[in-house]
This record gives sequence, structure tokens and C-alpha cells, in this order.
Amino acid sequence: MEVSNKKKEAYYTATQMQLVRTRFFGNRSAMIAGSILLFMIICSLFADFLSPYDPTIAGRDKEYENGAPQIPMFWDENGFSARPFLHTLTKYRGADTNFRWVYKLDTEKRRYVYFFVKGWEYKVFDFNINLPGKILDFKIPGFTFNTHLFGVDKGGIHLFGTDKAGKDLFSRTLNAIYISLAVGTLGVIISFVLSLIIGGISGYYGGWVDSLLQMFTDAIRTVPPIPLFMCLAAFAPLEWSSELRFFFISCLLGLISWPTLARRVRTHLLSERSQEYILAAKLCGASSTHIIVRHLLPSFTSYIIVDLVISFPYMLLSETALSFIGLGLREPVNSLGVLLQNATKADVLLNYQWYFIPVFFLVVLILTFVYVGDGLRDAADPHKVK
Amino acid sequence: MINFIQFTFTRAFLAFITLLLVCFIVFSLMELVPGTCAERYLAFKNTQGSSITVEDIRAEEKRLGLDKPFLYRYGKWVSNIIFKGDFGDSCILRMNINELLSGRFLLSLAIAITALLFSYIIAIPVGIISATTRYKSIDTTLKFISYLGIALPNFLVALCIMLFMTVYFGDTMTGLFSKDYETAPWSYNKFMDFLSRAWLPIFVLGWNATAFALQTVRALMLDENDKLYVMAAKARGITGMSLLWRYPAKHSLGPVINSIGFDLNRIFSALPIVALILILTEAGALLIEALARSNDQQLAGAIIFLLTATIVFVNFVTDVILAIIDPRIRKGVMGGG
Repeated sequence: MEVSNKKKEAYYTATQMQLVRTRFFGNRSAMIAGSILLFMIICSLFADFLSPYDPTIAGRDKEYENGAPQIPMFWDENGFSARPFLHTLTKYRGADTNFRWVYKLDTEKRRYVYFFVKGWEYKVFDFNINLPGKILDFKIPGFTFNTHLFGVDKGGIHLFGTDKAGKDLFSRTLNAIYISLAVGTLGVIISFVLSLIIGGISGYYGGWVDSLLQMFTDAIRTVPPIPLFMCLAAFAPLEWSSELRFFFISCLLGLISWPTLARRVRTHLLSERSQEYILAAKLCGASSTHIIVRHLLPSFTSYIIVDLVISFPYMLLSETALSFIGLGLREPVNSLGVLLQNATKADVLLNYQWYFIPVFFLVVLILTFVYVGDGLRDAADPHKVK
Repeated sequence: MINFIQFTFTRAFLAFITLLLVCFIVFSLMELVPGTCAERYLAFKNTQGSSITVEDIRAEEKRLGLDKPFLYRYGKWVSNIIFKGDFGDSCILRMNINELLSGRFLLSLAIAITALLFSYIIAIPVGIISATTRYKSIDTTLKFISYLGIALPNFLVALCIMLFMTVYFGDTMTGLFSKDYETAPWSYNKFMDFLSRAWLPIFVLGWNATAFALQTVRALMLDENDKLYVMAAKARGITGMSLLWRYPAKHSLGPVINSIGFDLNRIFSALPIVALILILTEAGALLIEALARSNDQQLAGAIIFLLTATIVFVNFVTDVILAIIDPRIRKGVMGGG
């Protein structure tokens, strides 16, 4: 009896956020998806440290082009080793192979995997924005490191194999997840600000302002988004630098996807506007800004967070689709769409199946985002009290 | 009845305004593309060997009416489309856009609408099962499949199926017609040939649409299922299918009609990329060609306009249908009736 009373008390005195958190933690599938997602995000943030090679052309392995994945092992016919190792591959070409390069596996020579090895240099906290116009350029030098989680003493280690230029697919995949998430995040932020402004004005003032803005929003919503994206992305001249292109694509993602969110903000504001506590604040003489910032915004923060998470996978998908047809990001920038584009050729399926490994990560990333978004939506819904 | 006609007219008017707005957005986008039609045309002539001067460009601009102000050209473009159904000429391909598009756009429409039908035929029963099943594992599995429909972008599915076909059957299955029928006029055989190939794009496009429709149906069913009138019906001893179809399903399917427009929007959105991979000769693939390869603004604008116009039209029709069949909305429209 004591315990249940305490439980009840805890329930009734809990803040909105606490309730949401408890409900979310109780959702098993969302928690599993959340852990995987968190793991992937952390991996992508430490991509440089985790990847043994530079994901750009500088990190190519000339000795191992279109190479199959190399999985470190602990034992072979020569016995067991506590330190994982790889066998040595030698490039070979002769009359018996029709003068094509093949890799010969030498199981006698072991190459051991070492941890925390020195490798290519990378920078941390390094911001270098180079937009047209001198004022917009700024640079933070950051720190340079060259320690990596793992590496081998001689030759290369390619967990996911290499592509046709000899670039390490493992390093590229990690980097691509990072870039795709960054594009998505930037896009979400832009669309968030836009939807907050437009939806906010529309919902708070109502009346003809609302009708006019809604008409505009609906008009944009009726245009199929990906053709519209393509139409806008076609503006980007080919000679743009990769940073500029990256920035441009993120802006586009934000500019196209605001209407859905803006509509949600508006609907919520319209229903919230007529609540008693707003009336009370108005009667106390509070200004519009005060009411919006202090009362209205906090009332739907949780909804906004949920909507942002839900819209994230669509950002990733749009970026992938754009890059896939060559209108989005391009080499040398890595993104999941760019890597996907590499996997489109028929000989890839026949000979180099490992090109599809990044695709798996894309699917998992989106799937976990959808599950987490769904879990958050259920958790933030006050009508779903169990 | 008067109220209903009034409602229909208001809706039609609103749809028309939306279309004008969309036209404006599309036209502005086309104008923003660097380089005018005249410059392109003359640049083409330049490659043919004749030299071009600035005067030539100005004269060409005058001929094409490009020296007129922006709003005038917008008005002309829109009125040509709406009153004459004329999209003008593509300045890259130098041929009339209507001729280029008419057959292809109908193909796109046929594919998209079949995909939509396909997705609803699957999604409605499956969504209802998912929402009402007593076995949690069925619901979880169906939910997972529908999420997978979002996470597996359809161009990826198209790619995988195509590569699989190439490897195991030696036929890519791409294109809408086999070689013998590509240029042949429409006939029964050509139609059958079309069907034997069109199932792939229809399946690929329908796959994602099904996932979305499934979620809509499931959410709506779950909402309705908890309501008191369903419980009252259960208390009266109505069970099983008759309960489902007479009470919650009937009510939850109204909003599904409303979502047709948005589902069509999604299919149209996915169509160009799928078409590009499967090498379909329809409007979507032409759009990518116009944007990515040749930068043909007139053609791209016309295609986007047609796609959007279809969606606006479908939205209008579903609104009217909903007002006829849903008593809740009918009451709102006709006031008490």
C-alpha cells in the first residue's frame, strides 16, 4: 500500500519531461533502436579516430583495389593467437591468370592487428567555412591527432574491403554516416527555424494572416518534394567547392521540408491559444512575445522534438536520393547517397558485393530513427496513459 | 443541395488558386536558372559554326518575348497552359513540349495510379488486421515491415531487383516495352507486353506507398477501436467481421480517402528516380534528364506543373467525395442535412 501510494504520488508530481522519459524507457523496441542509433552517432562522431585510413583519395591503398573485406581472425591451421591477425596478400599477374591482377593469399605470413596505432593525421574541432564572400569565411585551427583505434603493421586492413580506387570502405562508410547526419541536422535546423516562424505567426495571429500563410504552405506541400529538390539542386554549378555544395544541399533540405512542421506548429498554437492560462497571462498584461516565449513554446517543446526526430529520416532519404542521381553531394565528399551510387553497376553485384555494405548502414540508420521517432511520439502523447 | 454546389465551387476555386501559386513558384524557379533560352539557342548555333554577336542574342530574346517583364511572361505562360493547354517549346530539344509529353505523361499517370491502387488493396485489410489482432507478434511484424517500407528507399529496391534479374535471368526487365514493341502503335499485344514489364515499377512504387498507407490505416483503426460506440456495439453482441466493417472500419476509412492526394504526391516524388533506374520512357525520367543532363527549364517546369496539377485535382475530387460519403463532413458542408 505504502509503495503504491508513493508511486502514485511520484506519478502525479512528475513533470511533463519525466513522464515522457519514463514512458519512452518503457518502450522496448524504441529503446533498442535508440541504443543502436546512439552507437552509430557516436561512431560517426569519432569516425576519424575509428577509421584506419583517410576516407578521401589521399588514403587509397594502391596495392589493394576492389579488394574484398578482410576480417581479422584469431586462429588458422597454424594455431591460435590472442592478438587478431590477417594473412598476407600479394598482388600477382601472370600467364596463368590471363594477365589480370589477382590477389594471392599467403597463410604462412601473419600480419597482426595493433591498437592505438599512429596513422594518417586528422583534425578535431577544426571549422573551416568557405562561402562566397570574405566576411563569411572563418577558421578555427583545432588540434591535430594521428592516433587510430586499430591498424596493422604491414600492408592494409580493410574491414569492408576497398573500392575501385583503393579507398577503404570502412573508413568511407563511417565518414559518410557523419556527413549524411550533418547534412540532415543542418537541414532540420533550417526547417525548424522556418516552420517555427511561419507556423508561429500563422497560429498565433490567426485570421487572414493564417489563411494566407496556410494557402502558401499548402501550395508548397502539393508539389512533389523530390522533383522540387531536383529542380532547385540543378542550380548548383558544377564548379562549386564541395563545402559549398554541402551547405547548399542542407539549405535545400530545410527549405523544402518546413511546411509539414509549420502546419503542426500552427495547429498546436491555434488550439493552445484559447486555453485559460493564455487568457490569464493576457489579462495580466503580458506582451505577445512574453506569451509566445514563456507560455506557448514550452507547451509544445516535446511535440516539436518528436516532429524533428520524425522528419530526420526523410532528410536522410532525400539527401540520399539527390546524391544518388548526381544532383546532391558528389565525390570527393562521402555521403551515404554517394556510396550508394557506387553500388549501381551490374558488375558490382557479380564481383564486388561488399559495395553494398554502406547500404545496410543506411537502412539501419533510417529504421532506428523511425522507431525512435515513433517511440517518442507515443511517449509524448498525454492521452496514451497506461 | 445548393450548399453542396457552393461547397464544390469554393473547393474548385481554392484548388485553382493553389495551382496558380504553384505555377508561380515553378515559373520563378525556371527563371532563376542561369542563362536564358535565347542564349542557349544561340550557343547551340555557335557550336554549329556560325558566329554570334550580342545583337543576335537581343534579337532572339525579342523574338521569344524574353525582353518583357517577369510578371507579363508569367501571365502568358499560365494563360497559355490553362486556356490553350500549350506548354510552349523546349529550347534545348527545340520541339513542342505537348508532343513530347502527352504519351509519356499518361504512362506515368497510369503507373502511379496503379501503384496507388495496389498499395490500398494491400494496406487496408492488412492495416485493419494489424490494428485489431489479438496476437501481438503479428502486429509487431507488420509494423516492422511497414517501417522497412520507409527505410528501404524504393530506388534501392528497384536497383536490387534489377541487378538480381540481370544476374539470375539475364534480362534486366528494364524499360516499359520490349524491343519489338517500342515504336509500334498501341495494340493488344503491345498492351500485354507493357503489362508484363510494368509490374516491376508498379511493385517498386507501391512498396513504399503501401508502407505509408498501412501506417495511416493502422493508426486510424486504433483510434476508432477504443471509442465508446464500438464498445456499445460489442455489448449488443455484434462480433467479428460484421462488427469491424459496420463500425470502426467504416469510420476510420474516411480519412484514408483524404490521404490519397498525399500518397499520390509521394509516388510522384519517387517516380523520377525509379524511372531513371528502370529506364522507363515516361515523364519522370524525362524530368531528371531535363534537370540533371540538359538543364531544360521549360520541360522541367511543364512536368512539375503536370504532376502538381494532378495532385491538386485528386485532392479536390477526394474532398468532394468525402463530403458526399462522410456524414460528419456532409453535415458541416450542408448545415444540418
